[in-house]
Amino acid sequence: MTYSGVDFYRLDETLSDEERGVVQTVRRFVEDRFAPDIREHFRQGTFPMELSPEMGGLGLLGAAVHGPGCPGMSQTIYGLICRELERGDSGLRSFVSVQGSLVMWPIATFGTVEQQQKWLPELAAGKRVGCFGLTEPDHGSDPGAMKTRAVRDGNEWILTGNKMWITNADVADVAVVWARTEEGVAGFLVEAGTPGFTAHPIGGKFSLRASDTGELAFDEVRLPASALLPGARGLKAPLSCLNEARYGIAWGAIGAASDCYHVALEYARQREQFGKPIAGFQLVQQKLVTMLTEITKAQALALQLGRLKDSGTHETPLTSLAKRNNVAMALDCARQAREILGAAGITDEFSPGRHMANLESVYTYEGTHDIHTLIIGAEITGLPAYR
Amino acid sequence: MKIAVCVKQVPDSETRINLAAPTAELDSSGFTRILNPYDAYAVEEAVKIKEAGSDVEITAITIGPDTVKETLKKDCLAVGCDKALVITDPALDHADAAAIATVLSAALKKEPYDLVLCGFKAIDDDNGQVPILIAEKLGMAHVSTITSLELGEGTLTAHREIEGGKEIVQASMPAVLTCQKGLNEPRLPSLPNIMKAGMKPMETVTCADLGVEVPANLVQIKQYSPPPARGECKLIDAEDPAAAARELARLLNEEAKVI
Repeated sequence: MTYSGVDFYRLDETLSDEERGVVQTVRRFVEDRFAPDIREHFRQGTFPMELSPEMGGLGLLGAAVHGPGCPGMSQTIYGLICRELERGDSGLRSFVSVQGSLVMWPIATFGTVEQQQKWLPELAAGKRVGCFGLTEPDHGSDPGAMKTRAVRDGNEWILTGNKMWITNADVADVAVVWARTEEGVAGFLVEAGTPGFTAHPIGGKFSLRASDTGELAFDEVRLPASALLPGARGLKAPLSCLNEARYGIAWGAIGAASDCYHVALEYARQREQFGKPIAGFQLVQQKLVTMLTEITKAQALALQLGRLKDSGTHETPLTSLAKRNNVAMALDCARQAREILGAAGITDEFSPGRHMANLESVYTYEGTHDIHTLIIGAEITGLPAYR
Repeated sequence: MKIAVCVKQVPDSETRINLAAPTAELDSSGFTRILNPYDAYAVEEAVKIKEAGSDVEITAITIGPDTVKETLKKDCLAVGCDKALVITDPALDHADAAAIATVLSAALKKEPYDLVLCGFKAIDDDNGQVPILIAEKLGMAHVSTITSLELGEGTLTAHREIEGGKEIVQASMPAVLTCQKGLNEPRLPSLPNIMKAGMKPMETVTCADLGVEVPANLVQIKQYSPPPARGECKLIDAEDPAAAARELARLLNEEAKVI
């Protein structure tokens, strides 16, 4: 049976005609253009780069970013897009999160008019791809301790250091790179091909296989003054980018969870044991009901967060709570779906195993589950545990 | 140049129809509704003509309740139609093809359309009559089930797939054309265009506004009934394929009596 969304609480009725139109359109894009090939991409460890300009044409890249050539739609629309994309695969949603929230958003927010005009139209069109370099081999949850340095040399900068776990590292035309300077953390736009700048893929992944993940190396890379993002000052700047991306992840996880629920429900209705469909057994129903309940709660969180962001009245810990809850929820759903699928659940014929593997990354990136616990903990107690 | 695209909102082909017993009217409350897929070819072709030339205006026209507007916005206006006309009238609730064609023809007379594009049939009732009736009522040329279209000066050339080959047809304009799979690949609307579609003009009228009376139905649907339940399936349990074939032949001959 075709997928028509999981909407037990009829939250779709609170969406506008346009928002529902967006959902249907992205859903069709994922089903027609992405879903038929995802198994093979996951097996081969490849990403369908040819979809980048298609997604650009549809307005999926930087959906909520305002700037030259950008779609400039609402945060709620951006969330709905992420939800539908991640129903396909977390790798697809990651591509869009990085391009929009971590590359286009900082250029639109911290960049000069020249930087915006040079990069935003082509990034929005998906003709060029970007990546975001903050995490380092030795500095993940504590980016403030980063080793990458940028030193002034006359009118230029010299950038040295390494970045790791970078989505789109190998395919990016431009990297938004964060480095320590004498004036604090600063952001730079580093173009692929700049002498001294290299990217290497990270192999052996069992998660986010349909996504390019790599390492960036900067060996005394000479950058012009125009590479600096002048509006980004201090660690707050890259963290604010992550906050944009986390918001999309809070929505995206619902898509992965909904796919798991849908697949498990269909399977349980058809699979017969002891003379009847396993959906008729209490323990299977309990799993399905738990999944549906948690998905429904996650939907309410994400939708309200989207509306608050659209009204400009949300606080950072709200995003942490939604990311923390929804990704953990999705991972649980994937595991329960795998259980319902039995042995079939360990093959790539069914999606929950793939979602489960992917969500292990999603649980950890853009602020680990534990770091989000501490952000919310600091908010409610006034006592930051990480300082 | 003015192009009209006549479209219909239909139940999604995946919709489960609740039909336990014979009835004169289907319970449509749980239906997911979509643009008739053949109409999407008509919309796409109109938009392609507009993109290739200059000064083309596309009007999407439909009959239906308020709920058709969502489909019109997303699948017509967001894709590239310039405006929409919705004919909403309770008198049309159970109208047959002739009545629908009468009302659509009245709407099509309001502007001097050069082309009227339609899907060759709607996937709900599978009638395929309305466009032909419109052509007759408006005195326009009609070419059905086209798979390619080229426009000339006041004429058009269309390809039709026929049994075992292709037919190339030349017709004068204005003309009513019905679109078949293969004509084009309907695009998805871009999301920013979906957001802006609501700003394009959409007019809602009744039959009285069009100055047309809905004629009495010539055809009436008397009953929908579920298909007969499938009979028992018999599995032939044989030692080898040859024995299975012998048993199958025996059953077909003695029990089913078909050979």
